[in-house]
Amino acid sequence: MPLDMVDRTRVKDGLARARAAIAAGTPGAGLAILRETTGAGTDFLDQLRAARLVDGIDAAALGLRPIRLAIAGASTLDHVVPLLRYWLTIAGFAPTIHLTPFDTATASVLDPASALHDFKPDVVWLFTTHRDHALQVPPGAAPETLRDAVARAIAARRALWDALRAKACLVIDNLADLPTEDPAGNLAGAAPWGHRTALRLLNAELALTAPPGVVLLDLDHLAARHGRQRWHDPRYWHHSKHAVAPDSSGVLAHAAARLIAGARGLARKCLVLDLDNTLWGGVIGDDGLAGIALGSGAAGEAFVAFQAHVKALKDRGIILAACSKNEPATASLPFREHPDTVLRMEDFAVFRAGWGNKADVVRDIATTLNIGLDAVVFVDDNPMERDIVRRHLPEVAVVEMPDDPAHYIAALEAGAWFEAIAFNAEDAARTQLYAENARRDEHRAGFVDMQAYLASLDMVAATGGADPFHLPRIAQLIGKSNQFHLTGTRPTEAEIAALAQHPDWTVLHIRLRDRFGDNGLIAALLLHQQGQDLVIDTWVMSCRVLARGVEEFTASLVLAEARRRGATRVLGRYKPSAKNQIVAGLYPRLGFVPAGEDGGAFLFSTPADRDPWPSMVQHDA
Amino acid sequence: MPDRAAIVDRLTTVFREVFEDEALVIQDSTTADDIDEWDSLQHIVLVLAVEREFKVRLNPAEVGKLENVGAMADLLAARAA
Repeated sequence: MPLDMVDRTRVKDGLARARAAIAAGTPGAGLAILRETTGAGTDFLDQLRAARLVDGIDAAALGLRPIRLAIAGASTLDHVVPLLRYWLTIAGFAPTIHLTPFDTATASVLDPASALHDFKPDVVWLFTTHRDHALQVPPGAAPETLRDAVARAIAARRALWDALRAKACLVIDNLADLPTEDPAGNLAGAAPWGHRTALRLLNAELALTAPPGVVLLDLDHLAARHGRQRWHDPRYWHHSKHAVAPDSSGVLAHAAARLIAGARGLARKCLVLDLDNTLWGGVIGDDGLAGIALGSGAAGEAFVAFQAHVKALKDRGIILAACSKNEPATASLPFREHPDTVLRMEDFAVFRAGWGNKADVVRDIATTLNIGLDAVVFVDDNPMERDIVRRHLPEVAVVEMPDDPAHYIAALEAGAWFEAIAFNAEDAARTQLYAENARRDEHRAGFVDMQAYLASLDMVAATGGADPFHLPRIAQLIGKSNQFHLTGTRPTEAEIAALAQHPDWTVLHIRLRDRFGDNGLIAALLLHQQGQDLVIDTWVMSCRVLARGVEEFTASLVLAEARRRGATRVLGRYKPSAKNQIVAGLYPRLGFVPAGEDGGAFLFSTPADRDPWPSMVQHDA
Repeated sequence: MPDRAAIVDRLTTVFREVFEDEALVIQDSTTADDIDEWDSLQHIVLVLAVEREFKVRLNPAEVGKLENVGAMADLLAARAA
């Protein structure tokens, strides 16, 4: 049976099971089934069926995160909308989508009274293709002519970006897809005046100069990977101005949804890997160090390539964990002693080898790392193990692995689980951060007295506001925090920057270092003075530093800010969500008293003249 | 000569899948006016589904000019011949 036939059978079975789960009143289970059985490459008609199933679900009631997305393009995108709604829901959103009328993109963006602005979008996707840039220069034109044309095209994009950034929208713009045919033939990309030369220069310039708050979707890469002749279908361009063939809409919608997930903190964070036949060929316990396939021969080379890919994911901030049915000393042997291994023991934040049920082990890994199961991707060559994890942990993304290790990388990449919109120093050091945390836990085991343990950590906090260095990190932390997030707010970077300038608002961040290392930025707050009250509008903290006295330190910091502002009361808000039960009792524990309710939030107050909270965290003034 | 009744049967299956109505019955005289969901968007989906079922490539503009299901069946019969 050809591969795509297997896929269609699997998808049809998934659709039937999802339909049954939704009909049985368990829409969450239905979504999990669809996430496992459909992908970007799933047949367009099947994706539409899946989308119709999901349209019948109340996503907001499932606790999914609301998002308002406007799409403004100069081509027909109607077939993308239901699929984008589908992939956004699968990614964890409760989406509302507005599509601007055909070919009104620029007017909609620039006119503040347009339906687009009335819609009050969180995210605006400027759907451009190569047709939207006037980049044709005459054959033989000088390089300057082409550079000027590119500069003008970028200025035109910037005008639109600026209009949207002023409204604090996250902007998605496309890198241009290259046309499949060109009368200049090879010269279109090889001559200094060629159209493809111009588009490639435009794309590179956009990537080099896009400001914060503008995210670029690499449309050309999507088109090339999917196949340009499938990506664009001239019949539908002439019939109905579809710049992307209708049956390629799913590929586009999936990519956009994963990018938005990355921009809004819903990308996956951790890759849990099986070892035998996943990171090397064969079984280390049976075949031994010399017998496993790693590095020599085609199969061995494929495993080295997969390891190198995984290592590169780790280097850009994805946490790695191992989950193997093995004796611990045996499982770690290749990483310690095999000459061709790319991954080393220190690349894994958590290493679990044993004989337990893998669903239990994956759950234990998530608990150890203090991350949600919905942040985990599980990779295992064994279909039985995948099935067990799927069955017991529907939140985990389980990758359907092909038989041939040469295709492992493509299988993992197909889900676009780890899309990000930026990269910072903390991303590079993330596995180290989590490994340091594991060492803190071991260190704690030596203490009976919690206070003595905390004192021994030598914790020092540095505090500040929304300076240019910390602003993007503050926005990133607020965007991705789900558990320790008292009110669930999701302000954009531009909105936070505006609040930092507002006299009634204070933006605070806290960095923490201790004897085991630098934790980086671990907390952010948005405080709003309302008369005599200083209201804690937003309080997020990294769960890595939970219960170490940072909460008390932070409360004291807020207290000091309240006094500085002459407020008499600190008012805390707690708005319950599906994921933030961890902080439900935070304000009472800090001695705040209930002060009513407000729009779904519970209020708690404490007088500004009370004593600060004792904490083992020292303030680095 | 392909069996025209068999073509209409296969078209019925396609229509039922696209419009998600297991009880949908189409006849030669059925037009877009007879099926609520048959708008310009679903028309494109329908053409794609017909292309898949009959393993042909159609021109969506041409298909849009067909006045009813019967004309569509005639076109498919001609293509298969």
